[in-house]
Amino acid sequence: MTTRPIRRSGVAWRVAVSVVVVVLLVNGTLRMTDAAWPFGPMSQYAFAPAPDSEVAITRVEGRLADGRRIDLELNPWSSGIRRADVEAQIPQIEARPELLRAVQQGWARRHPTEPPLTELWLCQEWHRLSDRTWQPVRTVTLASWKVDR
Amino acid sequence: MGAVTRWFAPELPEARIAVLRSVIAIFVLLDVHLMVTDPPSLSLHPDLYRPLTVAGWLHLPAPSPALAWALYAVIWVSALLGIANRLPRLAGWTLAAAFTWWLTIGFSYGKVDHDHLALVVAVWLLPTVGPAAGRWRSSTTSVAAGWVLRCIQIAVVSTYVLSALNKIRNGDWSYRTWPESAILTWAIVRRPHQLGLWLLPHPELLRGMQWLSIIAETCSPVILWLRGRALLAAAVFWLGFHAFTFALLGIHFLPTVVCWLAFAPLERLAPWWRGRRLRRRALRRGTAEPNPVEVPVGGAARMGP
Repeated sequence: MTTRPIRRSGVAWRVAVSVVVVVLLVNGTLRMTDAAWPFGPMSQYAFAPAPDSEVAITRVEGRLADGRRIDLELNPWSSGIRRADVEAQIPQIEARPELLRAVQQGWARRHPTEPPLTELWLCQEWHRLSDRTWQPVRTVTLASWKVDR
Repeated sequence: MGAVTRWFAPELPEARIAVLRSVIAIFVLLDVHLMVTDPPSLSLHPDLYRPLTVAGWLHLPAPSPALAWALYAVIWVSALLGIANRLPRLAGWTLAAAFTWWLTIGFSYGKVDHDHLALVVAVWLLPTVGPAAGRWRSSTTSVAAGWVLRCIQIAVVSTYVLSALNKIRNGDWSYRTWPESAILTWAIVRRPHQLGLWLLPHPELLRGMQWLSIIAETCSPVILWLRGRALLAAAVFWLGFHAFTFALLGIHFLPTVVCWLAFAPLERLAPWWRGRRLRRRALRRGTAEPNPVEVPVGGAARMGP
């Protein structure tokens, strides 16, 4: 084994970089939001729903030209967009339902043999956690959009 | 060097860097095909773009399919060079910049993945070591290599301990709020998988798992001081934890899992492989020697720093 030497300054900047990055990460965890990535908080599943709270499952449904109403799965392989991305944009989609075009186009591109989509709905299924078990409650429609051609 | 400096920058084998460079480059290719796959499709929808702060600071242009596919091509070329350990600085930093930009696009439409911290640290810091003479078979040790490995290890541990800290922050600075909540039930209802559905009728068990998880996350910095069997036990525990959350919720954390390799004595791979080949050759000739190649000892054979 041979050892590659290193200058004092080489060690100094390395230690300084490590300390600065750790400080930025702790700051991100204590004070920032996800927008600060890669120096944001590790916030995945880091909140605390009460045992009797309600859980929303967001879905997008679509009407095909043959009349069927189907679930358009929200993932990169089925619609080109993840459910969490859609959930983060709910207020924007409620204000401008035509944003559902992203799901319509993504789904149509990945399902070329299916009839075209004529209408899309942004829905939420609500479930009540009762003593930490699962009870479906209701489905609400947050936005609907007729596909324009 | 002082004790603090030696801790941040221990002397470790460059062969471990060379192997890790190859593995991380392979993993980045898997990542853009299986994990953060959506920049080309998301960039078709400028209406949904919500740039991260870093995109604003760096004045990154709004994503477009042309940009996403250009980044994809750059990632492929630089990752192939990385797998072969060629042009480690140029190809390494090109891969780091292109991959980070790719992730920045993927995370600028609402959802940020929290499992990429250690991987991003790895792609940016591995190039600082420069060429490792002999690549996988390198017999050089250096402080430059030790610092990179230590930083990746710190990033892996930070993923856990900062998650615990964020849970405490979100729980109004009470340690009990998160483990006493219904978070696992909430997560299983939203991501139903077979194991989760079995466990759903047992809320006390789920609450016990929440306590185990936050205590393990809080204690995770200890990993940085473990060696040998204790370190191996910690690695087995955490890899088991990730396997379990995958079975429970379909959440894999593979970008963090692959960075656990920074703790492993990867420098033993090349001598082990060479020894195996020589023994086989000797057996075929009928002149078997029990152990024709010495496995390096000391710094090279240590597990962890």
